[in-house]
This record gives sequence, structure tokens and C-alpha cells, in this order.
Amino acid sequence: MVEAKIQVNDLNAWYGDFHVLKSLNFEILPNTVTAIMGPSGCGKTTFIRILNRLCDMVPEFHHTGEILIDGQDVFGADIDVYELRKGIGFVFQKPNPFPMSIYDNVAYGPKTHGMKDINEIVQRSLEQSALWDEVGHRLDEPALKLSGGQQQRLCLARALAVNPGIILMDEPVAFLDPISAQKIEELIMTLKRDYTIVLVTHNVQQALRVSDSAAFLYLGELIEYGRTSLIAETPKDPRTEAFLTGRFG
Amino acid sequence: MGTSKSITRELRSWFRLPKSRREFLDRLTFVFLAVIAVIITLPFFAIVFEVVANGWILLNPAFILTNMVGFAEGGIRNAIVGSIELVAIASMVAIPLCVGAAIYTTEYAQRGRRRARRWVQELNKWVIRIVEFTADVLAGVPSIIFGAFGLIFFVAVFGRSLIAGALTLALMMIPTILRTTQESLRAVPLSLREASLALGATTWSTSWRVVLRAALAGIITGILLAIGRVIGETAPLLFTTGFNFDAPWGFLDAIASLPFTIYLYALQGHTEIIRLRAYSTAIVLIGIVFVVDVIAVWASKKVGLVVRAGGV
Ligand SMILES: Nc1ncnc2c1ncn2[C@@H]1O[C@H](COP(=O)(O)OP(=O)(O)OP(=O)(O)O)[C@@H](O)[C@H]1O
Ligand SMILES: [Mg+2]
Repeated sequence: MVEAKIQVNDLNAWYGDFHVLKSLNFEILPNTVTAIMGPSGCGKTTFIRILNRLCDMVPEFHHTGEILIDGQDVFGADIDVYELRKGIGFVFQKPNPFPMSIYDNVAYGPKTHGMKDINEIVQRSLEQSALWDEVGHRLDEPALKLSGGQQQRLCLARALAVNPGIILMDEPVAFLDPISAQKIEELIMTLKRDYTIVLVTHNVQQALRVSDSAAFLYLGELIEYGRTSLIAETPKDPRTEAFLTGRFG
Repeated sequence: MGTSKSITRELRSWFRLPKSRREFLDRLTFVFLAVIAVIITLPFFAIVFEVVANGWILLNPAFILTNMVGFAEGGIRNAIVGSIELVAIASMVAIPLCVGAAIYTTEYAQRGRRRARRWVQELNKWVIRIVEFTADVLAGVPSIIFGAFGLIFFVAVFGRSLIAGALTLALMMIPTILRTTQESLRAVPLSLREASLALGATTWSTSWRVVLRAALAGIITGILLAIGRVIGETAPLLFTTGFNFDAPWGFLDAIASLPFTIYLYALQGHTEIIRLRAYSTAIVLIGIVFVVDVIAVWASKKVGLVVRAGGV
């Protein structure tokens, strides 16, 4: 039996009085891709922002229950938030490279954590995100000159540069053209060998293509969780079926 | 050529009688507004013309590169260098204070303090309000009041000196630099901060290496605007700097400056040579302010670029 990488135990979350996540219980295995699906506003982004404690940015946020990553509660009193976040890469919905050179974008994380051999890290990360061939010869150009798809892969490289074990992606292809989107999907499938990936997506087809497990959230509740192929073939809940067949979402 | 033909047609249409009352009114409004536009720009050109027409005679390299010998002889190097020293030291005092306060108010006090206790949050809110309120009030304080303040507080400690004058100017720079820095920081998209925090960076590192950098062009614009404003101010220096025929770097030495020199010349301007020297000094001052403002405008165009690009 494989140890869970991420274990969610009776997680509830609120923004002020608004109960946004309701008694979530599930676990995510290492080296898998887990798709988080559900209609807009059901709490997908909130969930993955809890995993790396970006939820701390919202003053009204509070929670009960626990999330264990490698057995450690992310809200534990003795946890070092900076170390926790270093171990979790985050790719945002909109590409958000820093207004610096391509090199500096990727080097930012490793420099922050005082890592050595920055040049090698930059090259390795850009290779992992399939960007090296396109930008390897012009690393000092501003990142903002890249196309949207390249920017998103740069953001992935930036996240990979600090050697995270987990990568969280919040609808990473929502703003990209189909070809760029496909590249990101291919990357997700190769990266799965070394990382545990949690992917928020609206796109059922995409979830089917790339994910091993899928979670279906509805108004903050976990309606369905299991192997993606199983859920797709025989959804247990009518709301899941409605979502999968595109009747809402 | 087609253009010349269309210009003649245009001219002819202007000089024929209007066909209708509405066309007449339309043309009347146009002429009226054009005249207003000219009237508004007139003072600027009149001043520049007056100053340059009178002052250009004395303007030569020696006038800029040598110190005064008495009031009527030599150049105005002491005043030019003195002004630069005053503004440089004032900037070195005001910039770190304002940038620090702006980072505190926009980056620290308001964000990411979920773990802070309720009363700490309340306190932060009040500190921000007080900082912003005092800065706004400071912006409206007449410059002569700054001069009086400098006399009471800085001259009492340092005597009439470079440092007393520079500190007084620094106070005057605070509102402009603080507010423009705050605005530039606030214009940096939240997504950049989140990207940095998500990599495990501290708020400190995020503020300095990402936010400040993205906001740099805007901050520089604010600094230049503040410099352009105070470099021409006489009142704050009136009681605080004294006067000097040389331009020493000693903090406690009295120091000359361009606006103060013009003021003194205007006071004693009974002879032709003093009158001309006042004009020439004014040309130099206007020239410096002009250059600073041009750079500020150029930098503020870059602000737009950064903010737009970062806003994705
Ligand atoms: N900072 C916040 N303060 C208050 N309420 C919030 C905040 N962020 C999100 N919410 C609310 O929490 C609910 C869940 O938001 P969340 O962003 O997690 O949804 P989502 O599933 O990611 O939606 P989408 O698919 O549109 O991105 C929404 O109703 C939203 O209005
Ligand atoms: Mg979302």
C-alpha cells in the first residue's frame, strides 16, 4: 500500500461566514495526476490555495480539519510556511511571469532559497518545461516578450526550479490557444513521473486525457472521487453526470 | 499637388461667409477656444522669452564653471553645485523614508496578516491612515512654513547649513514621493506577489525583489517630480542655508543655491549687471527643472509599459 502524498481529513473552510469547503475527505497518491473538477465557484481554487497556504492572504479565511502533506499538517503550529511552499510548485490560471529577464524569472526561487549552481538549475527547469529550445539562446530577454503559452511554460519552469515534490495548477490552459494547451498537457503527463500533480480544470476532456484520479466538487462538497476513467464511465451521482455531459459548468 | 489643393480649399472655406447660423456659432466657438488655448500658453512663453532675452548675454562656460566673486563678479558654480548638493542630500533622506513607509503601508500592514491579532490589524489600519493623512496635509502646507519649521528645528541644531536646508527640503519632498510610491506599488498586480510567495519567498523578499522592481519606473517618476518641485523653492532655504561664495561639501557649512541667489539678486537689483546676472541664473534654474521634468515624463511613459505588461 502506497503512502498518501496528500491526505485531507474532514476539511472545512470559510471566508467569513461563507462556508466554502464542506467536510472534504480524500487522499492523493504520489506520482499521480489528480483533476479537481466542478462548476464555477465550487471551491476548486480555494482548495489548492490551502495546500500551499496562499489562503493566508485572505484575512477572513478560516478552517477546521487538517491537510497532511507527507504526514505533516500544513496548518501545524511548527510548520515553516516558506519551506512548505518551496516544496509545492504553483502554476496560476493567468501566466504571471515577473517583469524581469527569462533567466531571472527561473533563478528567482533558487536564489531566494540560497541554492547553488543556479545556471544548471535554470537550464534543467527550462528543459523540463520544454522551453529550453525556444529560449535557451536569449535568456536575458524580458519574460514579458514571450507568447502567452511560452509565458505559462516559463511559470512552470519557475515553479520547478526549487525542486518541489508537488505541483498545483489552477486551470493552467484557460487562457491559452489549443496548441499551447496541448503542450502543457503533454508536459503534465511527463512530469507525473517525478511529481505529484493536482490540476484544477473545467475541461472534462482534458481531465480524461491527463488525470489518473478525479475529484468532483459541487458547492463546496466532494460529490465524487476516484479513478478518472471509472467516474467518466459510471458516475455515481447525477450531478457528476450532469457536469460530465456538459449540462452545467 | 493634392495637399496644396486641399489646403487652398480649406482656406477658402474659412474665409467664405458662414452658410448658416449653426455654422457661424460653430466657428465662433472654435475661434474662442483657440484664443483661450493661446492665452493659457502665453505666460510660459512670455517668461521664457523675457528670461532668455535678458540673460543669454552673460551665459558662457565660465559663468557656469566658476564661483562667485562678490555678488557682481565671477560665475554661479557655487549656486549650481549648492542646489545639487541640497537636493541630493534631501533625496537621500526622503527616498528611503518614503519608500519604507510606502512598503509598510501597502505590503506589510494590509496583506498576509491573517495570523496577526485583531488589535494589531486595527493598529496597522490607524497607522496607515495617519501616515497618509499627514502626508496629504504636508502637501498643502505653504513652503514658507517649511522654512520657518527648518529654522526652529534644524537651524537650532545645525546652524544655517547644508544639512539644515537639505532636511527642510526633504520634508517638502515627502508627500510627492510617498504618494507616488504608494500608487506605483498598488498598481503592481497581486498575481506577481502571489507568484513570489508561492515559491516560498518572504514578504520582505517579495516586496524588494518583485514589487519594488515592478514599480521602479513609477517610483523614479515620483522622485523626479519631487526634485523638480523643490529644486526651485526659495522659501524653505530662506532661513536655513545662509549663503556661500564657494560650494563646500561640509554638512555644517553655509551653502548657496540657485533660487536663493536669484532672490538675493532681485533684492539688490539696482545695477544693470546684477539684473542680468539674475536672468542668467534663472535660465540655468529653468534649464535644470526642464531637464528633470523631461526625464520624469519619459520615465512615467515607461510606468505605463510595466504596469500594462505586468497586469497580463
Ligand atoms: N477572497 C475571498 N473572499 C471571499 N469569498 C471568496 C474569496 N475567494 C473566493 N471566494 C468565494 O468562494 C467561492 C469559491 O471560490 P473559488 O475561487 O475557490 O471557486 P472556483 O471553484 O475556483 O471557481 P472558478 O472555476 O470560477 O475559478 C466562490 O463563491 C467565491 O465567491
Ligand atoms: Mg478558480
